[in-house]
Amino acid sequence: MKILIVEDEETLTDSIVEYLHEEGHICEAVYNFYDAIDKIESFDYDCIVVDINLPDGSGLDIIKHIKKSSKPVGIIIISARNSLENRIEGLDIGADNYLTKPFHLAELNAHLKSINRRINFSGNDHIIINEIKLIPSDHAVFINNKELKLTRKEFELLVFFISNKNKVITKSSLAEHLWGDYMDTADSFDFIYTHIKNLRNKLLKEGCTDYIKTVYGLGYKFDLTQF
Amino acid sequence: MKLLTKTSLNYLSVTLFVFLFGTVAFYYLLRYQVNQNINIELEKRKSSILNQLLSAHASVYTPPNQNEKVVITPLKSIKTPQLNFQDTIFFVHKENKFVPFRQLGFVASFNSNDFYVQIYKSLEETDNLIIRVFMIMTFVVFLIIISLLIMVRHTSLKAWNVFYDTIDKVNNYDINSHNEFALEQSEVKEFDDLNHGLIKMTNRINKDFLNMKEYTENASHEIQTPLAIINAKMEVLLQSENLDEKQMKAVADAYEASNRLSKLNKTLLLLAKIENRQFPESINVDPVALINNQLDNLEDLIESKDIHVEKHFDEAVILKMNPYLADVLLSNLIRNAIRHNLKGGELIINCNEKYIKVSNSGHELKVDKETIFERFHKQSSSPESLGLGLSIVQKICEVYDFGVSYAYENNMHHFTIDFYPNKIS
Repeated sequence: MKILIVEDEETLTDSIVEYLHEEGHICEAVYNFYDAIDKIESFDYDCIVVDINLPDGSGLDIIKHIKKSSKPVGIIIISARNSLENRIEGLDIGADNYLTKPFHLAELNAHLKSINRRINFSGNDHIIINEIKLIPSDHAVFINNKELKLTRKEFELLVFFISNKNKVITKSSLAEHLWGDYMDTADSFDFIYTHIKNLRNKLLKEGCTDYIKTVYGLGYKFDLTQF
Repeated sequence: MKLLTKTSLNYLSVTLFVFLFGTVAFYYLLRYQVNQNINIELEKRKSSILNQLLSAHASVYTPPNQNEKVVITPLKSIKTPQLNFQDTIFFVHKENKFVPFRQLGFVASFNSNDFYVQIYKSLEETDNLIIRVFMIMTFVVFLIIISLLIMVRHTSLKAWNVFYDTIDKVNNYDINSHNEFALEQSEVKEFDDLNHGLIKMTNRINKDFLNMKEYTENASHEIQTPLAIINAKMEVLLQSENLDEKQMKAVADAYEASNRLSKLNKTLLLLAKIENRQFPESINVDPVALINNQLDNLEDLIESKDIHVEKHFDEAVILKMNPYLADVLLSNLIRNAIRHNLKGGELIINCNEKYIKVSNSGHELKVDKETIFERFHKQSSSPESLGLGLSIVQKICEVYDFGVSYAYENNMHHFTIDFYPNKIS
């Protein structure tokens, strides 16, 4: 997947590029409005991650520019502004997602994966990881071709894990992914523990390999490397 | 005591004293003047009598009228003749009453005999006159005092009204309210100066307050980007293979801390925005749908705590609110009720057009009920809890003039949002 990052904070951009690069994406970064327009005109991208506040223009104008062409491009806005109007404005002109800074890279990655599935497989895709088969559009999971019933949150959890496979996923990014980022998530870590325990048990019961590893009490990892 | 009452009382006591003293003095002065006149008259008559005696026989003399009585007695029969002016009273048969007279006694010689002559003048008419004049004067002065008092009170009241209005407005001054601080114009320069001063002062305070709020908001805003960088770097660092357990733990702790910081910052920013009324647009919101949505979203949390949910919803409840704030409000209430619920506890949600009430099982709070909505108030010492949830609930209620209250009854915590707190049902 070819991704263009438009973000004026170079250090933040570097981290995003590094994280996404490990995921096997081809990632390019530009730090201002004009370079972004230049890149968009010259190359095709599957997805564009764009900051709204750029030193020489607005990210919204970049989105409008992209939308003029008929190429299917996924757009994710990353912005420090989190008011409803900004969100609505961004989504109105055709962005797929709106992430408020600071955000989790795992969250961004999960959104990119979902956009990728939508654009490249028109949503009718399925994810196959060894014995696991996921059909995101139907919210269905098959282990060794046998359907596994999961609750909605468990399903979301599994998709999030698979989107960020082989990566350490922190508890807070899991909590935010499942219950939104606002306000206290005091006990959500306990809930996450419960959820993951349930998911793991359900998977193991169906004879699935135990991919979910606990990482030093700080998070989890959907680890495929050892199998 | 009001200044006006005090001045009125002072004025009254002074004028009453002067009035009493003045009327007494006035009466005696009048009396004295009248006596002087009568004395002069009596003197004139004395000399006319003496003249008459010199030129004619005593028998010729007849008193001019009966008010001017003349008594002539031989001097020998009088032991101590009174030779000056005197007041006396006679019984007048004709009028059948005592009448005051003024008398002058003198000695006259006639045909080488000495007589003691007493001439009298009735004071009845002059006394009546004095009393009438005195009454009229008293009445007029009394009228003047009363009308002055009324006038002074009236004009003062009018002038002071502006002052009372100012005091009232200063007492009710709320820096968070977005109404303009306007004071009435006064015709009195001092009050006008005071009002001008106050308006200048509140304007300055408002400006500083706004600056501070803006500063808070901008600061929170600017913190977002560096936080995003920290979080991203940490997340990348967490993925590296060659960290040992100890380093990993350190990175993880730092990561969680920066996460908490960013959540705290986001929440404070939200609070600042609510306080700055930056959610102006409001549409018709269906709270029941929002509550159901929240319960759906939190279904797993509810299940994992074995919480029994009871819903009492009236149909078609509509609130005019900002949709985002409505969602935040209900989400905070419900999350709070789930978080502080007991395992196997109850969650009861009532929603009708008057109020929303969220009740949950729980132990009684050890702290003061009043502080429950304060910022950073925490019952538990859990570090992940920011203690801002209920504070946000309160702020949102402030925006829409909802009443929000907390009670602990029947082993349950009850949070009620009253849509019409001022209406007495």
